[in-house]
Amino acid sequence: MNRVQRLLIASTLSATLVAAVPASADIAVVVNANSGIDHLTRSDAVNIFMGRYRKLPTGNVALPVDSASLKARFYRALVNKDLAEINSYWARLVFSGEASPPQQIASSDDVHQLVLQNMNALSYVDSAHVPDDMHVVLTLGE
Amino acid sequence: MKRLLPVCAGLAMAVLACSAEARPLTDDGRLTFSGFGTLGLIHNNLDEADFTRDISQPKGAGEGWSARTDSMLGAQVGYRFTDELDTVVQGISRYHDSGDFSPEVSWAYLRYRPDPGVQLRVGRLGWDVYQLSDSRYVGYAYPWVRPPVDHFGTLQLTYIDGVDVTFKQPVGSDLVLLKLYTGRSDGHVFIGEGIEADFDVDKVYGGHVDYETGPWRFRAGYTEVESGITFSGDVPDQLDAQFDQIRAFNPFFDLTADGVLGDAFGFDRLKLYSLGAVYDQGPFQLQAMWNRSKTSADGAVDSGFVSAGYRIDRVTPYLVYSQVETTSDGEGGSEGDFKQKTYSVGARYDVTANMALKAQLDRVHIQRPGFLWRDIDSDWNGGWGSIFSLGLDFIF
Repeated sequence: MNRVQRLLIASTLSATLVAAVPASADIAVVVNANSGIDHLTRSDAVNIFMGRYRKLPTGNVALPVDSASLKARFYRALVNKDLAEINSYWARLVFSGEASPPQQIASSDDVHQLVLQNMNALSYVDSAHVPDDMHVVLTLGE
Repeated sequence: MKRLLPVCAGLAMAVLACSAEARPLTDDGRLTFSGFGTLGLIHNNLDEADFTRDISQPKGAGEGWSARTDSMLGAQVGYRFTDELDTVVQGISRYHDSGDFSPEVSWAYLRYRPDPGVQLRVGRLGWDVYQLSDSRYVGYAYPWVRPPVDHFGTLQLTYIDGVDVTFKQPVGSDLVLLKLYTGRSDGHVFIGEGIEADFDVDKVYGGHVDYETGPWRFRAGYTEVESGITFSGDVPDQLDAQFDQIRAFNPFFDLTADGVLGDAFGFDRLKLYSLGAVYDQGPFQLQAMWNRSKTSADGAVDSGFVSAGYRIDRVTPYLVYSQVETTSDGEGGSEGDFKQKTYSVGARYDVTANMALKAQLDRVHIQRPGFLWRDIDSDWNGGWGSIFSLGLDFIF
């Protein structure tokens, strides 16, 4: 093996390693696999999670669900804001009675259950661990 | 000051123990409780006049320190009957027209949302006359210690008892919003030394159109307020005493202080035109608003402000410029008119995800003293004042 070949193998190996063990995975916005929703745009997701306009492509009212363990990463990826800023944003809307924040769920198992039970629910999971019965409608890069 | 410190510490600990969201009180999550508050300290360097946050405050912050102007506490209880129908009751305790912190019901309404594009509310509602006007007491929601006084301080009402309806329509990835409202209200404001006005609002109606595109939110609004006005204080009392003396000789003399002052101020019918723009993208926050309020006596209150903030980790430094000017006869600059400009610099520090500490310095250029100040020295004709403020805002 000459030096060029060795370099190529080394770089291929390291690329494979990086792909297999992502330093930080992306965030997947998910719905029930049977909801009939194929795809959402980023602005759809902003409208729904930020309480601006909560209509799904199916015509139904969206039920956004915040998952406590991923919440900070999700809003950083969606609108580039931290949780204090998100709380500040909601303080304005809640205390003026304009809109209500997403439902807050502490455990990711409960989020999973809720999405399985409700065709209008949407939440988010780590894109490296999407359960089979959930459908990814949007992936947010981190 | 010393009495306030243990209260501060106690509240801070209570807040730290709470989560940031409206907490469900029942297992089914139908009943929720949440709240907001501010502990504010203000230092005024002027001995000629006392600083107020708005025209409903009978006393201002005099020379030295005061905790009265900005401190407040609000709480909200919500109950969800169905996904479409819910009710909200919100109360607030702040220093207001009664001269104390007596709590009042700020909102109490039934909300019906049959569709994501339609919302109907009935009951006591926030007066959504400008952008941010119906959340102006929720310190945690904005970067400043208080919303720019030149712009928000002249508002006559806080709520309306009536109905509002909001329509939302997406246009591509943008959103158009139309809100219409009508109702009754009342308010009590301090116009100047020895003169107060009581607004019995028979009819308040108006609406606004919002256009949201990306990080921008634009608004154009129009509101009319029709009221019966009753004046009180030394000025109308002395006027009425003089009119009574004339009436003793001439029984047909029919002037009253309410009539004369009412004609002079023209508060019985107000028309408010407003424009606003808000930009909120990642760490950037920009706000710009303008308002013209016309009275039936051809007078006007013109106000506006521009604010810019940039968040760096937990700290958001900001700059604000605001101004307000009244003209009593369309000509401008006459005796009794009010004019000032304010240059503010400050910073918000997010201590936790539900508590923020703020410091702000306002350099106020009072060109003609007037109704946002109290206890004004009679020989004072304005100048520069420095207001330094500290605020601790929290939600629970």
